[in-house]
Amino acid sequence: MVSYLEHCRAIDELLGLYALVVDGQEWERWPALFAEDCYYAVVSIENVEQDLPLAYMLDDSRERILDRVKFVREVWAGTVEPYRTRHSIQRTMTMDLGSGVYEVQANFLVGYTLGDGTAGMLAMGHYEDQIAVGEEGALFLRKVVYLDNVPPRYLIYPL
Amino acid sequence: MSNDFEAVRRKVALRFREPTKLPKEIFSDEAIYREELQRFFYGPYWHPVAHRAELPATGSFKTTWLAEVPVILTRTADDEVRAFINSCSHRGALLEQRRCGVAAQFECPYHRWLFGNDGGFIGAPGRKEFRSDFCETDYSLVPLRVAEHAGLIFVSRDSLAPDLQSFLGAAASPLADCMLDDGRLKLIGYQKVIYQANWKAYIDNDPYHAPLLHAAFRLLNWHGSKGQLITTRPYGHMCILYQINHYVDNGFLNDPSAISFLGTDDRARVVALRPVTGITKHLDTINIRFARPLGVNRTEVSYAFFGHQDDTPEYLEHRVRQSSNLLGPSGYISIEDAAIYNRVQLTTNDGGYARFVKGVGKPRDQWSQNDEASNTEWWAHYRTRMGFAPEGSADG
Repeated sequence: MVSYLEHCRAIDELLGLYALVVDGQEWERWPALFAEDCYYAVVSIENVEQDLPLAYMLDDSRERILDRVKFVREVWAGTVEPYRTRHSIQRTMTMDLGSGVYEVQANFLVGYTLGDGTAGMLAMGHYEDQIAVGEEGALFLRKVVYLDNVPPRYLIYPL
Repeated sequence: MSNDFEAVRRKVALRFREPTKLPKEIFSDEAIYREELQRFFYGPYWHPVAHRAELPATGSFKTTWLAEVPVILTRTADDEVRAFINSCSHRGALLEQRRCGVAAQFECPYHRWLFGNDGGFIGAPGRKEFRSDFCETDYSLVPLRVAEHAGLIFVSRDSLAPDLQSFLGAAASPLADCMLDDGRLKLIGYQKVIYQANWKAYIDNDPYHAPLLHAAFRLLNWHGSKGQLITTRPYGHMCILYQINHYVDNGFLNDPSAISFLGTDDRARVVALRPVTGITKHLDTINIRFARPLGVNRTEVSYAFFGHQDDTPEYLEHRVRQSSNLLGPSGYISIEDAAIYNRVQLTTNDGGYARFVKGVGKPRDQWSQNDEASNTEWWAHYRTRMGFAPEGSADG
């Protein structure tokens, strides 16, 4: 039981760190939150409900996650209109899959603020994550972002 | 035509002297926007609203919007696609609120009126007490005209719209190329987004723009090949036809697999149908961009991506990876387009002009893929149809 609670604390620290890194736009640190073998996707709940496989972002390997950082940092900068985000994340379900791996669900709300100070709600939905907890803490094996809303602007940054 | 618009029309006409120099208020004036809904969206034009792949079986339906008008599309038992205003013919409640599904009948929740998916009135509780002159055929759902090309479903509210083939003209063939000729597509999903841009700013900058915008092209060492350009008259549909260029890995990406071309059909196509639909076939993606104005400065675009019914599971999976990352609103390439719609809209109240220069003045048959003159066929048509051009101008 102690171990389960310790693991939960490690999971919460990872979710907190995730918000810190993406809201701080520390994109070089973003891949480090994932295990070596990993998967990141943003999908709309509408597609999921219709059994449609298309995603908004689909990085099905570490290489692809590193490439996303390259696009954000090197390719799009200066053209796209930047915005600041604020993630609010609440863990809602934690299931022990054994061997230190957990299936974790969490709700999220992401607010955004533009350069001129106008702000709004960018995204709402939930995460379905697979998280491995080891000696050095927790890492995402898999993170899928289920988006409830049609975003009020195009998404630049990972959610 | 409202008095509001007539006053604006006179003022704009004084500034709108040529289709290569657009007074920017056409992108931000509320009266112009309201008039455009009447003249273009409810007028004699055809609007793509679905592909048959989104209505996969008889009984399938999809709800959507033609500007501010709710529309329901059904695939009836005789395998015809029909379109109706999605409103109960009794008191006007929105009849079907689901995005899609399968239904032979639609029941209004308000007074339980029942309609067939062919739009016909079937029955209602208390029918015997209805007014004595009640005639069931007067209470069918209001139909829209429907026409189809390579599986793409078009609707029109106006009986004066020409037949679809005349409307499409020379764009019909490149459009069928995008639908892989036989139109037997398979839906793989939607990416929806709202742009803070007028619908014309969206379509004017989506299908065509100079590759200069795309830093991604430069960094990926990705050169466009020489393409063929087709523009139609009078509507100004625009098509760019070229051959897919294989991506040569220059080491920029850690994993270039998602942008590699694995198919055999190397026709690349970009089509802009007026008034507001972009369609692309690029690398292994097939994309129809269903756009809907939400007001003078907001446009929702539903990027629908497709594969083909005969794709192998492996090829379909590749299409999914590529479609998810390349040409949607957050795609590697097209996110840069998205930024421009908003950035163009932000300056539309400064009293200035948006101007076309590259290729302008060259004979039409010498326009090339990167000549922005190609957009001006549409602007000539728009200027005439809105009454901004002097009486008797061409391209009406």
